[in-house]
Amino acid sequence: MKMEDMSLSGLDNTKLEALAQDIYSDLVEDACLGLCFEVHRAVKQGYFFLDDTDQESMKDFEIVDQPGVDIFGQVYNQWKNKECVCPNCNRSIAASRFAPHLEKCLGMGRNSSRIANRRIASSNNMNNKSESDQEDNDDVNDNDWSYGSEKKAKKRKSDKVFLHSLKQHIPLNPNSPRRSKSVKHKNGELSNSVNADPYKYNYNTGINYETLGPDELRSLLTTQCGVISEHTKKMCTRSQRCPQHTDEQRRAVRVFLLGPSASSLPDADTMVESDCYDASDGQVLMSRLQWDGSSDISPSDSASSKASTNNSDSKKPKKKKKMSLGLNSTGGGGGGSGSGGGSSSQSSLVGQSNRKKKPKLPVPPAPSIYDNLN
Amino acid sequence: MSPAGCPHVNGFKVDNWKQNLRVIYQCFVWSGSAETRKRKAKSCICHMCGAHLNRLHSCLSCVFFGCFTKKHIHEHAKNKRHNLAIDLLYGGIYCFVCQDYIYDKDMEQIAKEEQRKAWKLQGRFFPLFNPSVGPSGVGEKYSTWEPTKRELELLRHNPKRRKITTNCTIGLRGLINLGNTCFMNCIVQALTHTPLLRDFFLSDRHKCEMQSNSCLVCEMSQLFQEFYSGHRSPHIPFRLLHLVWTHARHLAGYEQQDAHEFLIAALDVLHRHCKGDDNGKKANNPNNCNCIIDQIFTGGLQSDVTCQVCHGVSTTIDPFWDISLDLPGSSTPFWPLSPGGDGSTLNGESHLSGATTLTDCLRRFTRPEHLGSSAKIKCSGCHSYQESTKQLTMKKLPIVACFHLKRFEHSAKLRRKIPTYVSFPLELDMTPFMASSKESRMNGQYQQSVDVFNNDNKYSLFAVVNHQGTLESGHYTTFIRQHKDQWFKCDDAVITKASIKDVLDSEGYLLFYHKQFLEYE
Repeated sequence: MKMEDMSLSGLDNTKLEALAQDIYSDLVEDACLGLCFEVHRAVKQGYFFLDDTDQESMKDFEIVDQPGVDIFGQVYNQWKNKECVCPNCNRSIAASRFAPHLEKCLGMGRNSSRIANRRIASSNNMNNKSESDQEDNDDVNDNDWSYGSEKKAKKRKSDKVFLHSLKQHIPLNPNSPRRSKSVKHKNGELSNSVNADPYKYNYNTGINYETLGPDELRSLLTTQCGVISEHTKKMCTRSQRCPQHTDEQRRAVRVFLLGPSASSLPDADTMVESDCYDASDGQVLMSRLQWDGSSDISPSDSASSKASTNNSDSKKPKKKKKMSLGLNSTGGGGGGSGSGGGSSSQSSLVGQSNRKKKPKLPVPPAPSIYDNLN
Repeated sequence: MSPAGCPHVNGFKVDNWKQNLRVIYQCFVWSGSAETRKRKAKSCICHMCGAHLNRLHSCLSCVFFGCFTKKHIHEHAKNKRHNLAIDLLYGGIYCFVCQDYIYDKDMEQIAKEEQRKAWKLQGRFFPLFNPSVGPSGVGEKYSTWEPTKRELELLRHNPKRRKITTNCTIGLRGLINLGNTCFMNCIVQALTHTPLLRDFFLSDRHKCEMQSNSCLVCEMSQLFQEFYSGHRSPHIPFRLLHLVWTHARHLAGYEQQDAHEFLIAALDVLHRHCKGDDNGKKANNPNNCNCIIDQIFTGGLQSDVTCQVCHGVSTTIDPFWDISLDLPGSSTPFWPLSPGGDGSTLNGESHLSGATTLTDCLRRFTRPEHLGSSAKIKCSGCHSYQESTKQLTMKKLPIVACFHLKRFEHSAKLRRKIPTYVSFPLELDMTPFMASSKESRMNGQYQQSVDVFNNDNKYSLFAVVNHQGTLESGHYTTFIRQHKDQWFKCDDAVITKASIKDVLDSEGYLLFYHKQFLEYE
């Protein structure tokens, strides 16, 4: 029987059915044959017995289905004393307390959501001032909270005035850690925790400078900060020592509103207490200079979280360096004597604050990064 | 000489026997291309009775085909004293003196090589876990394990063995809660009981290319080893936690987290690390990625925006790893579903009991949504802004479909958990929600008869993650299916047996479905 080219169209249904059935049974037979060959080979090569098991082992691993015990036959709640070794510090930690330990060990503390916010904010909005303002406030809070609860208690005792003014920010800040924590059980969209609405953040009422006359402005500016917010175009109504804005900004706004002769800022020396805010000042200043490098927060973030204990310290001095050099650049850019004086006073400020906080980082590395500015 | 060989092959192994054998394999056994297949079909017939099948064998010493069942090849062997013949179906060598199939190492080597060549020529793409090919689809250097002589000896002397039967605890293991890490534990349980993922890791498919010690895929592999080790004490996943916190910063922090968020972050990190580089330098293009995570979890969601004026449709397809479904009881209204809702009982559920079903949620997800006058789309047909409707359908279904029921509501006014019971089936047919079904519906074929033979869209439930408690504080547990119809409840370190009823009565937060049938591509 030679193979012919059969035309299927000429056949009726029953013939087709029969053909299909034939093909099907052939395929099944071939498949069975394949299985037989496999078994045959296994037996011949001598590894067929591998499939066998011993009764004892099988009994060991049987599933137990009784109340009060799990499937291994063990009683619940006997695992309280498990321990593990932290990959970061190599200490032996109780397993059920490992997560809080790791958090502190990696230096995340309660900043975890804020670090994420900051990173997202900086990568999303390079030029959005409101985001950088937000960061400032975060940094402000960081100074205190990142030390952990023990140190927080210490600070409370030593510097009541400072903390009192700091406290103001926390409940008003819509992105406080407590609030952002409670939105953790959401539907997986991280962007929810980032405050995308710049207006929500600006919680001071602000004054519209355009409606005021020069006298009013002058009297206003003697008592208030007055720095004009970029997005609301309103003046800041906080005190002359408002932490959100720098002296330079205050000077600039007075020059802008009242003319070049006006500059009645208080002496820089009296601003010693607010040295902790310099980090934020530096940030805002940087953004005003529109220097791209300033908004790139992630390197400092990752550095701070990789370091085990010095993270919080390493953050602040780094930013201080930025700020001081930035001021130098404004001096170079063509300010008057004011800016020169400003920079000197600010750098003295830096010196003081460096002495106050533990100066762990040496000064030299920073200039190398910012060399091209000058 | 291998233990299963025979001395009679020595008569054959002379002169140019290797080449001759290759030719026989290439032409008559493993057909690489269509022409060779035709040639084989036409020329391979029994020289005595003309049959094509009947276990046709070819003589190794001369050109003769004879069928085995009718013993024609045996006659030839006796007459010509050609002792060896080859089975044309599977390539086995038969020795007439030993009267059995024999396995000679050298000849088998040739057979394997020819087989691989033929498969390459065919361009066949095999599914993920055909043991002869790698995950990329084209024949790779991978062969099933066979013990060596020494190994066989050892195994014979050590008869105690663990075998995974249906009543076996191997593969199940508790996980210690490291401090509010139940969200991580429940996702780990679901992933370790995903059959394809388990097969991938247990067959040691991950070749790590990362320099540092922080590859999450390696840690995942280690996790599977721990689960199948047979240990009964719960595993402490501290290394996993450390790695996840290192690679997904937004999750770090000792506080309660969302399991769904963790799932997406974990899949993302695994996907990045599968490519071998921390920074994802290698092909990070979602359309080109062929890592195991994408093969298993990535589906395509088609979004059609129809202009109300000219009825022009603009289509985009986005990849997805999970489907988030709205629930009744949230502030956005759930009912009514689309006007075309026919209330069919496709998945064995009905509305009589009043409970919302998963199918309802899916129908709502894929309903045409009128976008409203405030969200006009620029229509390329009309060249102006027009009102439109948008509809989502599934373009490509993933092998593992994860459904996320949005139980945590975060609207402007309130934040709460929605406890509405949603009934979900053990078996789910996704056909009505496919893009192809929608097209046939639009073409007027309203009566979509259920195609019994189309098994592509049938899914089986294998893991359910539940949340008990409130928005601020709660506890996650998982139900997983280990063997067919055997369910277990995983509550951190405690694993207990559960009934199917327990599973189906539970609230459900994350539902994992696995395709029932895996086809060749």
